[in-house]
Amino acid sequence: MKAEVKGSEILYVERFRILHGDYEHGGDAAAAIKAVLKELGIHPDLIRRLSIANFEAEMNVIMYAEEGEMEFQVLADAVRVVLTDRGQGIPDIELAMTPGYSTATPAMRERGFGAGLGLPNIKKNVDLFEIESTVGVGTTLRYSIFLSERQRAGEA
Amino acid sequence: MNEHGHSVEIDPDKCIGCVACCQACPTKAIRVLGGVAVVKPELCTYCGNCVRVCRYDAATAKTSNPADLKMFKHTVALPALTLYGQFGRDVMPSQVMDALRKIGFDSTYDVSWMCEMVTAATDAYLSECNGPWPKISVTCPAIVRLIQIRYPELIAHMVPIETARELAAKILRRKLSSELRLDPSEIGIFFITPCSAIMNSILRPVALDQSYIDGAFSIAEIYGPLLDAIKTTEKVDHDVPISPSGLFWAMAGGEIAGMRNTNTMAVRGIQDVEFVFDRIESGTFATVDFIEAYICPDGCVSGQLVIEGRYAAQRNIQQIARKLGDQGQVKEEKVRTLLREHFFDLEEEVKARPARALGRDLKQRIAMKKEKAGVLEQLPKKDCAACGAPDCETLAEDIVLGERMVEDCLFVRIASLTGDGTTGMEGKDE
Repeated sequence: MKAEVKGSEILYVERFRILHGDYEHGGDAAAAIKAVLKELGIHPDLIRRLSIANFEAEMNVIMYAEEGEMEFQVLADAVRVVLTDRGQGIPDIELAMTPGYSTATPAMRERGFGAGLGLPNIKKNVDLFEIESTVGVGTTLRYSIFLSERQRAGEA
Repeated sequence: MNEHGHSVEIDPDKCIGCVACCQACPTKAIRVLGGVAVVKPELCTYCGNCVRVCRYDAATAKTSNPADLKMFKHTVALPALTLYGQFGRDVMPSQVMDALRKIGFDSTYDVSWMCEMVTAATDAYLSECNGPWPKISVTCPAIVRLIQIRYPELIAHMVPIETARELAAKILRRKLSSELRLDPSEIGIFFITPCSAIMNSILRPVALDQSYIDGAFSIAEIYGPLLDAIKTTEKVDHDVPISPSGLFWAMAGGEIAGMRNTNTMAVRGIQDVEFVFDRIESGTFATVDFIEAYICPDGCVSGQLVIEGRYAAQRNIQQIARKLGDQGQVKEEKVRTLLREHFFDLEEEVKARPARALGRDLKQRIAMKKEKAGVLEQLPKKDCAACGAPDCETLAEDIVLGERMVEDCLFVRIASLTGDGTTGMEGKDE
């Protein structure tokens, strides 16, 4: 699946830095993006889907990578997130995309994570999803949700 | 009650233009303009925080006019369960009911057993519904308004069961009109309320075309006459049938305490409610089945229109419930029959009432958001509210909407008067 929305102008950008092990601020980027989407009058269902995806993606960086940057973009016809992390990378993407597969440690599971639904959950909630990973370097996620004609016209 | 009025009003003659209410408002619905606090009704949840913090008696909760009682052939007092806990631990519900009749109501009706029925109906609903999770109680009308205004995406989480007070009034009107051979409209049902939010829910019901309740008086305003009347009531051995588990609905946590389902949470007070609702939106609490939420810190006993302190009131309720012993009122078969008849169902869909959006369409909204960020840069971020908006961000928003000017900020004005453009009160440089 191609995550690029072609020929669309970027209207709004915000970037968030995410650090490994920073559970204290886990979900802050997703919450900040949600607040922006609410302010822009985006449809609640889209906000919910993107928030779920963002939270999963953000927690993945906190749990598995060294650090990452979440870039949130509003385009004329979609909202898009590009999340680039520096870290161990994913050796077998197909396996990582399998619901239930997890490499979470017992400590992570104790915090309620590690059900093996992170990446599949992101994919399930977005319209376009793309993942690239290099072992020992890091992972890049790109995902988008389309804005309907009505949303662009301002009817939530 | 004035059909077009609001259950929370600010008297411009009494208001001195301090910003206490403006800063206390959880939905930022109040501005102080021209020295007087003004409520934006579209943002108001009628939580009554302004009534609570106003030291000048300017912000008040509006209730029914006592003269309204004369419009009916038969009047009934429907007391909030909170009322039972207002007179110490020795005054039993039967005495409170007796006193209500002494001060002028033709009859009284207890809501606790309907609370117990709603508990059973909620359990039944939870066992059959398919999410989204968690489900949220609709008991607190300020919570319902908060969801409509600030969390419209949580409407789908609301339990579609009408409140116990409305259901009790619905059943009571039916019962009385046949017993007394009166037209339903000749019966006046008045709620004795601990808060302005319930009053508003009677004026403007959310999931009903018209409330089954005709009006409301606050606990605070009838407390004096009621206390006098209680002194002349006899203690009776046989109490009116009260459901002890229903009685606990007067306090936060009381609703879930009586449920079979224990995968539940009670959330108390506006700050905690916002914390939890923000996370429900993000899917964080999806493993929880049911959330009972109150805008007041301890549920209804901490409403702004009560007299007894909320801690003493909770002690009283606990002790009264213990004295009443085990007298469950509700037969499961009855609940199942009523469920099949859709008796508990919300009659109308709950509509979203999203707060004002900046701009017409997406492009304009983004432009205005950027403009707002630019305006905010010029403001001191002290959130002092001296301008009459609760904080700098809200002032920035009002400015972008063309309602205010940057010069409304005192810091900006002082800086423009000093030679170097500073006030000497700046925060640290960024």
